[in-house]
Amino acid sequence: MSGGGTRRRVLAGLSPTGRRVLYAYGATVLLFLLGGLVRPGFIQATNVLTILTVAMFVGLVAAGQSFVILIGGIDLSVPWVLNAAAILLATSSGGENAHAAAALALTLGMGALVGVANGIGVTVLGVPAVVMTLAMNGIMEGLTLGLSGGMTCGACASYAPPLVQGLAHGSLLGVPAPLWLWLAVIGLISFLLQATVFGRATYAIGTNLRASELAGLRVRATVIGLYGLSGLTAALAGIMLVGFGGQASLGMGEPYLFQSIAAVVIGGASILGGRGHYLGAVAGAICLVTLISVLLAMNMAEYGRSIIYGVIILVLLLLYGREARDG
Amino acid sequence: MMAPPRRSTLAHGLARHLGLALVSALLAVSVIGYGGLYLATQGRLPGGFEFTSSLNNTMPLALAGLAQTMVVLTRGLDLSIGGIIDLSDALAALYLGTTAASMALASALILLAGAVLGFVNGALVAYGRLPPILVTLATLAIFQGLAIRILPQPGGAVPEGYTALLVNTGAPYALFYVLAMMLFWAVLRRSRIGIALLAVGDDEAAASSNGIDPVVTKLVAYTLSGLIAAAAGLFLAAQATAGDATTGNGYTLTSIVAVVLGGVSLFGGRGSGIGAILGAFVTTMIVNILFFAHIDPLYQSFYEGAFLVIAVVLAEGLGRLVRKRRARA
Repeated sequence: MSGGGTRRRVLAGLSPTGRRVLYAYGATVLLFLLGGLVRPGFIQATNVLTILTVAMFVGLVAAGQSFVILIGGIDLSVPWVLNAAAILLATSSGGENAHAAAALALTLGMGALVGVANGIGVTVLGVPAVVMTLAMNGIMEGLTLGLSGGMTCGACASYAPPLVQGLAHGSLLGVPAPLWLWLAVIGLISFLLQATVFGRATYAIGTNLRASELAGLRVRATVIGLYGLSGLTAALAGIMLVGFGGQASLGMGEPYLFQSIAAVVIGGASILGGRGHYLGAVAGAICLVTLISVLLAMNMAEYGRSIIYGVIILVLLLLYGREARDG
Repeated sequence: MMAPPRRSTLAHGLARHLGLALVSALLAVSVIGYGGLYLATQGRLPGGFEFTSSLNNTMPLALAGLAQTMVVLTRGLDLSIGGIIDLSDALAALYLGTTAASMALASALILLAGAVLGFVNGALVAYGRLPPILVTLATLAIFQGLAIRILPQPGGAVPEGYTALLVNTGAPYALFYVLAMMLFWAVLRRSRIGIALLAVGDDEAAASSNGIDPVVTKLVAYTLSGLIAAAAGLFLAAQATAGDATTGNGYTLTSIVAVVLGGVSLFGGRGSGIGAILGAFVTTMIVNILFFAHIDPLYQSFYEGAFLVIAVVLAEGLGRLVRKRRARA
């Protein structure tokens, strides 16, 4: 097992996607070291766990985004689905544990339903995914603002039920509860994508839509299901976020559109569909959130972060695009 | 009589004019609806003041829609339009100066900056062969960041004379700008580059084998988009008489709404800039109608989103129907 030769052979043996996932984890380790240089204490266990917990919010949204990007689609409706979910959970439960279960079901159902509506728009009505989900984002924004009276409604000040707050803040065996939840989601999605007909159909549709139709796959149902899952994970992220922060606020979903797409791209999925894995998006989410934390530790202003995100996405797109053409 | 070519020039032309006819009808209906509502709530018909202010209010969106058209025609999408408008708005509020010469120079430089930013988008899409959505999403973040860097808080000032020139509240001078935009489209449409835009969006391989360079065409499309978006930012700043590095954000969505309402196909190769300009006016009329129907402005983006979906479905459905008919006849 000596040195570089083996490593090169291992890297060459990986698929391009696998290699990118590895790069993302490698970049994360470097970023943590950089963070440690900028601010001692950055690499302490508590801080690392906090960063991972924050990465979970991005990771949940990126799960749904991965699903739709795998079939060459995109979900631009996540910001206001997430925001609506956070507000719906707080208002419908009124902050009471007694109503928590019903509120959770209602909120997750809302997310899934909005996603399904996106899927129907894309498949049945033939609206381009960008336009359908962009319009849905507007629809959810208008509904959320309108129904909550711009967050002036009586119930809008409600806190998340203590149960949900406990889920977001609790810990088990020294590991924060949200990370256990994330692990469960990772396991579930990996199983869904790798070991089920639904998952194989997803890759097939992303690779060649026409061929999938001819092969008798249930293309429409699969696509609608994938958009439904994207709505569901965005709603779940909203629930965890309101549990974490206690109260919902307007605009809390805005950063998650860009970050979820960035996480998927960093994780090496092809934006044209058919290639990628959720583990890549997980790596992307952790890498991105670590980068944000380092930038924050360096007191970088918001505009600077915005510019750096954009530049990183462009650089990665150029690198990966080149690799795809070479290979 | 069997299997006629789906893209015959006749059917193609008709489908294009169908989009224009539809948006004209939509504009007529919404103007009548607006007039009726105005009469019912205000006790009189809207007059010259309402006409002028509607024209002035629509100018930024009409320009943003025209900008979006350039890119959509090539089967692309420009999500960075909002960011370019933000930047141009912020720059205008800071650097217009007070003399006529400084205003003219600063305006020209801002338009040039918009064109350069658009060129960057175009280069990434055309040379990098990257998906337009991702490229312009990334550059949107960069442009917005730059705009906030330049103008962290709303402020600055746009000189009175500049506002009077672009946004005259006394008389409907904006009509002149609308006509100029339409004339620009009419000339572009008949030029080599206009034909190339449509051809590349319709079928890139076919256009390429007919001697049209897709790379150059896309570069021009994104550059024009950036230039026209910067003009939208100038109008926006003139309207507000001050700068705000975030007011442009909404134009990414509404420019797509205007384009779709205007009958420009999101699958490229079909559509008219005039349609997108009229689509912008329909959007303004809808906002006016919502206002006079006493619908809570908080719901505005709900109606815009719903309207966008309905418009896409109807436009694509009708277009397909007509093309099929023509093909069969």
